[in-house]
Amino acid sequence: MNWVVFNETVRRSWRGMIYWGVGFGVYGLMIMLIVQDANILKQYGEIAKAFPPALMQLFGGDAVSMATPEGFLAYGYFGYLLLIFAVYAILSGLNITANDEDAGITDVVLSLPLARWCLVLEKFLAYSLMIIGIVAISYLGLFIGMRFSALQMDGSRLLQATINIIPASLLILGFTALAGAVFRSKGTATGVAAFFVVGSYVLNFLGVAASGTFLDKLKGLSFFSYYDHQGVILHGLSVGNLTLLLVLTVICAGGAVWSFQRRDVGI
Amino acid sequence: MNMNSKAPVIQTDNLSKFYHKNRTETVTALKGLNLTVQPGEIFGYLGPNGAGKTTTIRLLLDLIRPSSGKAAIFGQDAQQNSVELHKRIGFLPGELNLWKNLTGAQVVDYIGRVRGGLDMTYVRSLTDRLQLDLSIRIRSYSSGNKRKLGLVLAMMNKPDLLILDEPTNGLDPLMQQLFNELMLDVRKEGRTVFLSSHMLGEVQAICDRVGILRAGELKAVETVSKLMRANFRWVTLRLREPVAVAQLSNLAGVSEVSAVDGGIKLRLSGDFDPLLRAIAPYYVQNMEVAEPTLEEIFLSFYGNNGQGKKESAS
Repeated sequence: MNWVVFNETVRRSWRGMIYWGVGFGVYGLMIMLIVQDANILKQYGEIAKAFPPALMQLFGGDAVSMATPEGFLAYGYFGYLLLIFAVYAILSGLNITANDEDAGITDVVLSLPLARWCLVLEKFLAYSLMIIGIVAISYLGLFIGMRFSALQMDGSRLLQATINIIPASLLILGFTALAGAVFRSKGTATGVAAFFVVGSYVLNFLGVAASGTFLDKLKGLSFFSYYDHQGVILHGLSVGNLTLLLVLTVICAGGAVWSFQRRDVGI
Repeated sequence: MNMNSKAPVIQTDNLSKFYHKNRTETVTALKGLNLTVQPGEIFGYLGPNGAGKTTTIRLLLDLIRPSSGKAAIFGQDAQQNSVELHKRIGFLPGELNLWKNLTGAQVVDYIGRVRGGLDMTYVRSLTDRLQLDLSIRIRSYSSGNKRKLGLVLAMMNKPDLLILDEPTNGLDPLMQQLFNELMLDVRKEGRTVFLSSHMLGEVQAICDRVGILRAGELKAVETVSKLMRANFRWVTLRLREPVAVAQLSNLAGVSEVSAVDGGIKLRLSGDFDPLLRAIAPYYVQNMEVAEPTLEEIFLSFYGNNGQGKKESAS
């Protein structure tokens, strides 16, 4: 690896990283600033008690946790963050092979002294760095917001909850790269990756809403259940969940390399 | 040039590529290709669209994998040693697609870095000769300028082997002339060019040998001079007074005379003089001369069954 592709990918993507990071940061800042009186959370909690418990679970919270800063953030920010983050991860994953192949650029790139595995790996690492950068910038929004908000909570817990986005986003990146490498077509890869994310979200959604049922057991198939934003902000990072997501990411990225290495390109 | 004294630059051994159209149908893109290209020659790879030219090039560059057979470049397996081999190869695809938001200079810089270095003096000499402005974004390049950029990208590291797929598509006649000069310079330096084309005139001007491909099969490999001996033209005459077809049929070099839409169409091999003398007494309203298609030359050279010599003297 001579890191030329990595450097070039970073050079072309860093502006996007800042835009996305600032976007998420502003979103976090606004969520923080919206609460100027800690008592309002208790009122939210009271309102939430009026909802059926299943409905509250559906939205990733319960009436008791909603009344705490951690529960409020889990519900109002981290619950949706990964879903929005998935858009960036899918777009980046398509950039690893599918977009260039669809545009007919891969022929030129692979006629250069560049191994296919190198191309996939360097791009994957570059976009992984971009995801970490976006998460870091978005944390700044939360951090600044906390200083001006009535929400008082453990700063390290907030950091852990933010870091928790990274492995799941990397998994989406890796899965999309795999879909692009396997299916060649950008359209198919996009569809498969979107189905993976939305399907996982719905599976988790239904499993949480119908706890104790067959659906509850099925939610283990969804990567959202290992993202567990509520658990992390309340109890800290789960090493088991992180490891599982990272192992799956490595498997997907490895699969993308393997698939792209052995097949015809650009047809 | 003693071509036999050196190892071949390109050698294929029964190289084939099939595609599965569906579960039951298989499409043959290339069938049992045995081809040898020698160092320092400009080899023209001729064939109509869909004959398998681009498939061959993509196999040589390891962009696609053979269904059977193998290809070697500089004596090394084209698939196993692709990364090493690509250091010595410059490639221009038939349809050049690049990152539209980048400028020509940014693309040159990126590709130069992937290649491990860039001789900017040489790049500048190429862009000057081709009159190419690198400061423009790719999306703003005309098709001709994109082609020129492709040539710069292919040539900028002075590769030992240039593989060019339909290189003059979109180039104006002046630039085609310049392209020919560039290729002859490459040959002068002892480097090798493998170019595909469906235009006989293009290869006629610069190639030492040509391979003729039809429906995925290499039908013949010949020197350009030998192929040109089979050359002929289609002549269509419009005369004010009617002339009997039989009157022209017996002329030297004239054949396939037929009456067409108020005129006479004939096939002429060799010099014009006998024909011009024969029609001199008549008032000639119009005379059109058309070059034969590649297919027609091929048929003229090898007959309708297309069973020509396979890979003649290298």
